[in-house]
Amino acid sequence: MSGSTEFDRLATKPVSRTRETLQALVANRLAVAGLIVLSLLVIVGIFGEVIAPYGINDIDIPNRLTRPSGSHWFGTDELGRDVMSRVLIAARVSLQVGFIAVGFALVVGVPIGLVSGYYRGTIDSVLMRMMDVLFSFPAILLAIAILAVLGPGVGNAMIAIGLVYTPIFARITRGSVLVVSGEVYIRAARSLGAGDRRIIFRHILPNVLAPIIVQTTLSLAFAILSEAALSFLGLGVQPPNPAWGRMLAEGRNFFEQAPWMGIFPGLAILVTVMSFNFVGDGLRDALDPKQKSVIESRGQSV
Amino acid sequence: MTEPILEVNDLRVRFGTKRGVAEVVNGISYDLHPGETLAIVGESGSGKSVSVLALMGLLAQPPASVLGSARYRGEELLGMPAKDLRSIRGKRLAMIFQDPMTSLNPVRTVGYQLIEPMALHLNLKGGPARERGLELLELVGIPSPDARFSDYPHQLSGGMRQRVMIAMALACDPDVLIADEATTALDVTTQAQITDLVAELQQRIGMAVIWITHDLGVVASIADRVHVMYGGRFMEQAAVDDLYATPHHPYTEGLLGSLPMPGPDRPERLMTIPGLPPDPVTMPSGCSFAPRCTYADTDRCLQAVPPMELLGNLHSTACFYPLAVAR
Repeated sequence: MSGSTEFDRLATKPVSRTRETLQALVANRLAVAGLIVLSLLVIVGIFGEVIAPYGINDIDIPNRLTRPSGSHWFGTDELGRDVMSRVLIAARVSLQVGFIAVGFALVVGVPIGLVSGYYRGTIDSVLMRMMDVLFSFPAILLAIAILAVLGPGVGNAMIAIGLVYTPIFARITRGSVLVVSGEVYIRAARSLGAGDRRIIFRHILPNVLAPIIVQTTLSLAFAILSEAALSFLGLGVQPPNPAWGRMLAEGRNFFEQAPWMGIFPGLAILVTVMSFNFVGDGLRDALDPKQKSVIESRGQSV
Repeated sequence: MTEPILEVNDLRVRFGTKRGVAEVVNGISYDLHPGETLAIVGESGSGKSVSVLALMGLLAQPPASVLGSARYRGEELLGMPAKDLRSIRGKRLAMIFQDPMTSLNPVRTVGYQLIEPMALHLNLKGGPARERGLELLELVGIPSPDARFSDYPHQLSGGMRQRVMIAMALACDPDVLIADEATTALDVTTQAQITDLVAELQQRIGMAVIWITHDLGVVASIADRVHVMYGGRFMEQAAVDDLYATPHHPYTEGLLGSLPMPGPDRPERLMTIPGLPPDPVTMPSGCSFAPRCTYADTDRCLQAVPPMELLGNLHSTACFYPLAVAR
């Protein structure tokens, strides 16, 4: 009987949570597509120089503003530089900013959320009011303000974006910690002699990971978008290094003669951000179908 | 008589609420001797669970405030530094909880959770810890412990999970096991298995057990002594047989009367106690049971709290008009 074998399989073979999640993720076609695109993107990010047909600053004035062709698939810009090479090589800085900024937000935000949610009281009020202050500014405006203080540049852009996304992680973590720390198993762990640190990191953290993982993926998309916006405004990556946002800004001036200068970096941003979103949504469905992300409501103000 | 391992003296627990101060435990005292089983019986809200959580230091303060004294082998537990308390919890005093469905961490394997107290208190890790873990699972009657070791809690039934909880509690050979409604969430056959298991392990290991329950039927089968709790106070304390044979307190009589009994002379209807338990924010000034008591008089019972009085062989009650006592 097929029903009983299915039952036996479930009963005898424990399916780990990680595998269960991966299986659910693989079943989601958009998420798989996103994963494939992201993998390619990472490869491009690492081996950009090898893949790119030209150097990023190979100026070729006679061939300036040429339309896409066999020798320049994405065309050339106002200095005759190959747009495709610049788009490919700019992938690295976009991913770097995304990962490092979100990493920063994770490393700062999650512990704040853990401490706030676990200890409550005064420390919770103080930390959360600080987060509220950060959260109350529109994301991009706050990043611009931070860069105005720190000065423009890639490194500072990472810090600025990281700071902007910190309160999201703090809040999401705190919310889940509030729920989990009221559970009986936390009291049981304490009754067995576990201390605060052990309870927070060994018992609470693994239980609140799911929303944090989802938020990380979605935040990557928004961090890359923010980096593009900052570079567009000239606050992120500085010339002559290529960045998608910068190229978009430069392409604006030649939009009538050479639309490809703006279209291809724009497409790169679109594809990257969408891929992260698909993966993030897929993860959310796989990990916790009920959860709704904070960033969705916030996305509108970005 | 041997030295008690746990002496609780005038334990009081209050909670600050929006409506005022809730006095949940109002001065209870008892001694627990090695190897004995003490049952604390009472209905929901009588303060029985809170009283043991307080002495384990498991109540968040605030909102709770805990007064009085609880000594483990002469050492005061209340107000003990957190670090010292941690070294006693799980090692000397262990606890099992009401709902086995929620008292195990869902993202950790049974083995991980079983080994944790050993790692904390006995510095036992790796192979030896696993070995002891398997031994414990065997001890609490879990079939094929090897396979269960890497299971997650959701893969076990409620009874199995409660057995795992007991194994965790016993990991460091505690002197005192506190079972807080440990069988309430289980079905009746499993209840009997778990109570038998605890009784058997108690004999084998020689620990003392505080058994908290609202079920007098469970108490009869395992307890040595019973303390009946109501409105945050003990109403009556006695050896289990004495209590069933000659209840002195009207509340105990009511509780016993509400138990279904087989036999030809059973009453037509089960007895009920009219009214509701007192609100801990507005405790009656006299006996907390007086408003529901059919024997209560307006002068004494509603005015003063009756003191606990010894009426017979280790049988005492807090009532101005004890039943079945020749005066």
